[in-house]
Amino acid sequence: MKPAELRSQSHLFDDYTELRVQENRNIGLTMQNGDLSRNARSVQSGVSARVARAGYWGFCSTPEVDSPAMERVVDRASTNAKILAGRSQRAGLHLPSTAGKGDHDLQTEHERRSQKELIDFLRAIDDHILANYPKLSSRVLALNNLDMQKTLLTSEGAEAFSMTPRSLLYLILTIEKDGQPIDLMEAYGGLGQFEDRFGDPSELFEDIARQYEHLENKASGIYAEAGPKTCILDAELAGILAHEAIGHTTEADFVMGGSVAGQFMDKEVASPLVTLVDFAHSALGETCPVPVHVDDEGTEALDCTIIDKGVLRHYMHNKESAGHFESAPTGNARAFLFSDEPLIRMRNTAILPGKSKLEEMIASVEDGYYLMKPGNGQADTTSEFMFAVTQGYEIKNGKLGRGLRNTTISGVAFDLLKTVSMLSDDMVWTGSGMCGKKQPIPVGMGGPAIKCTVSLGGK
Amino acid sequence: MQLDPHLADATIEALEKAGADKAQCLLKVQDKSEYTVNAGKIDLLRTTENGSMTLTAIVDGKRGTLAQNGLDPDSIARAVDEVIVLAQISQPDEANDIAEGGEAQTFESGPAEPDLAAMYDRIANLLEYSKKHHPRAIYDMLIYDFSSTDLLFRNSNGVDLRERRGLYTVVAMFSSREGAQSSSFNYTVHHAFDADTEVWDRGSFDRLLRENGEQIHTESLEGKFVGDVIFTPDCLDEFLGTITEYLGDRPMITGTSIYKDSIGEPIAFPGLTLHSRPVSDEIAAGYHITRDGTPAQSSTIIDEGRLMTHLLGIYGAKKTGGERAVNDGGCFVVEAGDTQLADMIQGVERGILLGRFSGGHPSDNGDFSGVAKNSFLIEDGRIGKPLSETMLSGNISEMLHSIQALSRERVDFGKGILPWLHTQGLTISGS
Repeated sequence: MKPAELRSQSHLFDDYTELRVQENRNIGLTMQNGDLSRNARSVQSGVSARVARAGYWGFCSTPEVDSPAMERVVDRASTNAKILAGRSQRAGLHLPSTAGKGDHDLQTEHERRSQKELIDFLRAIDDHILANYPKLSSRVLALNNLDMQKTLLTSEGAEAFSMTPRSLLYLILTIEKDGQPIDLMEAYGGLGQFEDRFGDPSELFEDIARQYEHLENKASGIYAEAGPKTCILDAELAGILAHEAIGHTTEADFVMGGSVAGQFMDKEVASPLVTLVDFAHSALGETCPVPVHVDDEGTEALDCTIIDKGVLRHYMHNKESAGHFESAPTGNARAFLFSDEPLIRMRNTAILPGKSKLEEMIASVEDGYYLMKPGNGQADTTSEFMFAVTQGYEIKNGKLGRGLRNTTISGVAFDLLKTVSMLSDDMVWTGSGMCGKKQPIPVGMGGPAIKCTVSLGGK
Repeated sequence: MQLDPHLADATIEALEKAGADKAQCLLKVQDKSEYTVNAGKIDLLRTTENGSMTLTAIVDGKRGTLAQNGLDPDSIARAVDEVIVLAQISQPDEANDIAEGGEAQTFESGPAEPDLAAMYDRIANLLEYSKKHHPRAIYDMLIYDFSSTDLLFRNSNGVDLRERRGLYTVVAMFSSREGAQSSSFNYTVHHAFDADTEVWDRGSFDRLLRENGEQIHTESLEGKFVGDVIFTPDCLDEFLGTITEYLGDRPMITGTSIYKDSIGEPIAFPGLTLHSRPVSDEIAAGYHITRDGTPAQSSTIIDEGRLMTHLLGIYGAKKTGGERAVNDGGCFVVEAGDTQLADMIQGVERGILLGRFSGGHPSDNGDFSGVAKNSFLIEDGRIGKPLSETMLSGNISEMLHSIQALSRERVDFGKGILPWLHTQGLTISGS
């Protein structure tokens, strides 16, 4: 559905209103040791309305998408706001007016492949792994495609359509070492439908060979030594650092909730080498993994420079927080399902590259670790963070040594960023992130490799 | 929305006509009402309705699954055609099957409609109570919702199970602030069939809010030691969820589970008995129907330290030759120990009281590491300073064997009932 088809509903809007029609389409395939254990598709679609009235919000959603359903959700959302207003008096919300417009359909231009062809694709990769890596004790391949399609109309005149697809192949390889399973997972793919991200299965074979080599090194590797160490965090870890450790503390709703970043505006919070941006849709001339042009409140999405050369400059906002802080909304209000209300969410959060070469960064470390792949992560309102690290190597006298078993890194982000002494001159995006904050949401994370001091958990 | 049982029968009939050897239909209708607090005020009332169906078809031993939330005749007809195609293009597997038929059963629990006024009062009262008793607390997220779920599971073998459940859930994430200092956030969730009881009297709300206020001024540990850890019931719940993941289909089928050959074997301290009780009256957030469409039963997963069951579904059981579990896990009830919490703390020479664990997902071999959050140092039998930047690492299997005691006191979360648990031998390191 395009915004023009929704326009006829604008007569329903008495108060500030957002009307959103959304459809999330998923394909899920899982192959465990050669057996196709999951072959599924799903669709979640419907319409929602959010109304602001007398200082309160009302929201309502239904899976039916027709005119009576739209009338019903707008009416019920309005009633919900009235119910709250009837219980307590409150000043009206100050919501900056925005009327973003856009039509961003990222559907593939290639001929669509059937689900049978996707299964054949997985089968070919599985056959290759089975034939070439006999030492593996197990292999799991999971293909997940998500197409998120949204149409938005607001009482302020915003009209936006977006179809944002994401296709990911997760590959979990396991090897036995001394009777214990050691695993390594890698995610391939990102923005786009399957046809845009994957071609012939053989195009992945080189990556799989690298993944297997890292797994072997991990299996024969060591546990990290617990405590603080000088580390090179590779790009993927820098990305999750930008997202988890800094990004969340600078979401304006968390700032209003007491995040430590509330005290740091316009103060030095990082090494002057560090600039950290939540990009809306494109960065350094390229489309980001999760492009957002108009957010789910109808605000045109703009880049938000959170830290500029070490100084905290901006928070990420929705309309309500922008009104509270007397700032401009940044286009960070996003909802996952049709039945979800928009929340302040990051889009594509990245530390900008520096000038060093990765090789010279590793060579500069006498005794430390090169940490490459993140697992899950969590951050605190104090900026204390934790990330799992699933792949890495020790560094001794400037040279890479033995592989590492799984470990965890932690620290206080704003302290860690002050220890950053080198950034590599390249930048890598990961498009497989799924952030959790009441609702899940796809996010992009990026960055260069960074040299810093961080605490590790070990044995 | 209303659930129409005839829709399930008609859909199964259509699937069989379209070529399914075996067919399954799960219909679900859910209405939800939810209050949300932002910046200390109740500022959003959200109501949602949804109706969805999940169809499974098996054709020549090949399985396809399709889920959608459109329940109009046209979209169901399309879904039937589509799931048959999914099955046809799939791969034959003798393990693909559906549940055996049995007696039709209907389960009902909780109210059908929310008491919106009571919900508002409970949450408004909590905000007032917090101002008075926990004045430094700030709610990062506070949500009180009521969901009414009507679920119907039918299949071509004659399974006919229906469950209606009305459930109140309160979720709070909070931190505490004093001047420029703030604590780490903590969170808790409680489920109930009514909105009659004040929120602070449920689960661990009051204790966690109080402790959080004591965690504003933390200290980091210096160095590293191998010490004792007392898991709070809140933290234990998350660990039990992780531990039971090793018992499920994927790790068992791929052979990566550390407990694949452990049925009947001691895997933990003999004083540990862990039940999964989804159908118990004491569990509000339970379930009566498994994901495979069998009537759920309560079970004992670990009996006096011995592993009694894996948590295999029909596919996992057929694939591995193991026994299908009588439930899908969760709804954990750990039997109380014989140690008073105060005595448990007194017995610790050096260790930590672990309020929350922010950690990486454990490896297949059970190794884990992460940060001890909302935690206190215990020294010479006394609770000491609240900690920051403290890391914890160990191995799930070793940790279970090293349990020393379980407390007499337990916390009822509405989804589980859990004690404090004292274990040893974990590596604790400071900054």
